[in-house]
Amino acid sequence: MLQEKTFITFNRMIAQNIYLMGFRSKKMALLSKPGQFLMIHLVGTQMDPLLARPFSVHSIKDNDILVILYKTVGKGTSLLSLSKEGDTISIIGPLGNGFPLPGKNQIPLLVAGGMGIAPLFFLSQLLINIKKYELKMFLGFSTSQEIVLFNELTSLGLDLSIATNDGSYGKKGLVTDILDQYLEKKSSIKPMIYACGPVDMLKEVSLRAISLNLTCYVSLESQMACGLGLCQGCAIKANNTTNKPYYYVCQDGPIFLAEMIDWGSL
Amino acid sequence: MPKTPNLSVEIGGLILKNPVITASGTFGYGNELNQLINLSSLGAIIVKGLSLEPMPGNPPPRIVETPCGILNSIGLANVGIKAFIKEKLPALHKIKTPIIANIYGHSMSEYAKITKIIEDTEKIAALEVNISCPNVEKGGMAFGTDSYTAAKVTEHVKKNTTKPVIVKLTPNVTDITSIAVAVESAGAQALSVTNTILGMAVDVPTRKPKLANIIGGLSGPAIKPLALYLVYKVANRVKIPVIGLGGIMNYEDALEFLIVGATAIQIGTATFVNPKTAIEVVDGLHNYCLRKKIHTINQITGSLKEYGESNEKS
Ligand SMILES: Cc1cc2nc3c(=O)[nH]c(=O)nc-3n(C[C@H](O)[C@H](O)[C@H](O)COP(=O)(O)OP(=O)(O)OC[C@H]3O[C@@H](n4cnc5c(N)ncnc54)[C@H](O)[C@@H]3O)c2cc1C
Ligand SMILES: Cc1cc2nc3c(=O)[nH]c(=O)nc-3n(C[C@H](O)[C@H](O)[C@H](O)COP(=O)(O)O)c2cc1C
Ligand code: FES
Repeated sequence: MLQEKTFITFNRMIAQNIYLMGFRSKKMALLSKPGQFLMIHLVGTQMDPLLARPFSVHSIKDNDILVILYKTVGKGTSLLSLSKEGDTISIIGPLGNGFPLPGKNQIPLLVAGGMGIAPLFFLSQLLINIKKYELKMFLGFSTSQEIVLFNELTSLGLDLSIATNDGSYGKKGLVTDILDQYLEKKSSIKPMIYACGPVDMLKEVSLRAISLNLTCYVSLESQMACGLGLCQGCAIKANNTTNKPYYYVCQDGPIFLAEMIDWGSL
Repeated sequence: MPKTPNLSVEIGGLILKNPVITASGTFGYGNELNQLINLSSLGAIIVKGLSLEPMPGNPPPRIVETPCGILNSIGLANVGIKAFIKEKLPALHKIKTPIIANIYGHSMSEYAKITKIIEDTEKIAALEVNISCPNVEKGGMAFGTDSYTAAKVTEHVKKNTTKPVIVKLTPNVTDITSIAVAVESAGAQALSVTNTILGMAVDVPTRKPKLANIIGGLSGPAIKPLALYLVYKVANRVKIPVIGLGGIMNYEDALEFLIVGATAIQIGTATFVNPKTAIEVVDGLHNYCLRKKIHTINQITGSLKEYGESNEKS
């Protein structure tokens, strides 16, 4: 865990309300693993918004630039979107556990909904580098305008299947619909699922994985005050077969095995 | 070479190397930031509120940001005093900073039991008694909102320990000074002022409370003026040291609390914003004393001037 003040090297809009931002930190770039996150605060906005905001590491560029992918949803992210190359930001990271990598004979399968692509991009880069998988990724977006990183993902060599809620691209429907079709067709293989996206989607994916007895890792979010294990704010209800009442997303996660979570509480 | 200023302060017989303490509930179990800061540079560390048995805490969402502040309804989630001593405290053994346990009970006898356990734990230097939790014996009313029960809790703790006892007051009362005086007479050796202020926030589109618990405690810079006022009032009424807290973000905020009468201060929410805040406040106070040629930090405590007085340096 490191804390640094650094400069923004780029911040650009890549789709409606969606931005890619890079900042230099060689040490943090070296330490970061897919699935881990950073707490980010724009320097000079100390009082309002008061708290830093959590963002997943989206990728590492040129060995020393950390990249995040974010969507503007409120005050903090809107301010972030206005910042420019050269502005100072404060970052703490890398935080959290990160995705465990697949075992020798396990075939990874990635499922992303909307901004869920943020940490899965980094994971797919790593997976493709360590082993030449036929890496398959299922993506769900609300509409074709929100499809990001299509070229980047295809040039990595990923096999993409896309669904949009409004049918403006790919299959009309939810990402779980195309996942279901695949799992049904390929019932002989037992993939290992990595999922990130809105909580409703993660719930659906997890319930399927649990019923099919597949290993499934999800990246979860919760309201965080510190991201550092200090406040006990980021609680998420544990499956009642465990002896813990709650997990803390910043410390025990943000990556969890699907069966660890009490999905009924979410 | 100017003389190094003496930042040390005394709280109920406990000597702190400087007046900067981390606040309960905002510093985990004490060791979480060991990779980022030198914990031995702090005046003292107050750990998360501890109860006799583990407490699960409230359902999420437990945290919501409000302008210049945060509302929390953690619900005193903690591993319990026994697990704290067994699993968390060993990591703090090498740290050369007093560890203070923040405690709370659901009844007088629970307060007494936790106190006895702490009395036998060498590494815990003092107790901070949180009296802002609901009193089950009195139908859910907080111990800390009634002078009589606040004093009774203090007595129960005092009877069972030889360690310094700090009582942490709640601001959610009509007259904090009457509680402060009652607790002082019951034997408290210091007071922490203040805990969080009750508040709430509503999400208009869904008309739902933003916290699952509906209400929570407000902290951060939003409460600083109120906290400062309470410290000023209490420090003028009691003889025991007052530890000031509420929205302190930097050394200048800390100085305000010292000037109105605090002997020491605590850093809470600011640690979430910048984990190095407490260390930066120590450095800031040190440099301020050097600049102003102040030999001991105690000279600042209660040095508030009147409007007509000259502006010459203290
Ligand atoms: C571990 C982790 C990793 C994350 N990674 C990314 C990422 O890579 N890219 C990205 O765009 N976002 C990510 N998020 C979500 C991001 O932190 C929030 O969108 C951001 O904090 C919102 O801040 P704001 O000030 O703009 O919104 P606010 O003004 O604080 O809130 C606006 C709205 O967003 C909701 N919101 C706020 N925080 C969260 C949250 N943590 N989760 C869900 N909803 C929230 C609020 O309830 C509210 O409705 C991540 C969150 C976590 C916990
Ligand atoms: C997330 C959170 C948890 C807290 N938990 C406790 C606690 O367990 N016991 C306690 O006495 N005070 C607790 N507090 C109150 C703080 O110690 C402090 O009194 C309050 O936040 C005001 O100071 P600040 O504005 O500097 O944060 C908590 C505060 C926050 C924000
Ligand atoms: S966000 Fe503070 S403990 Fe997880």
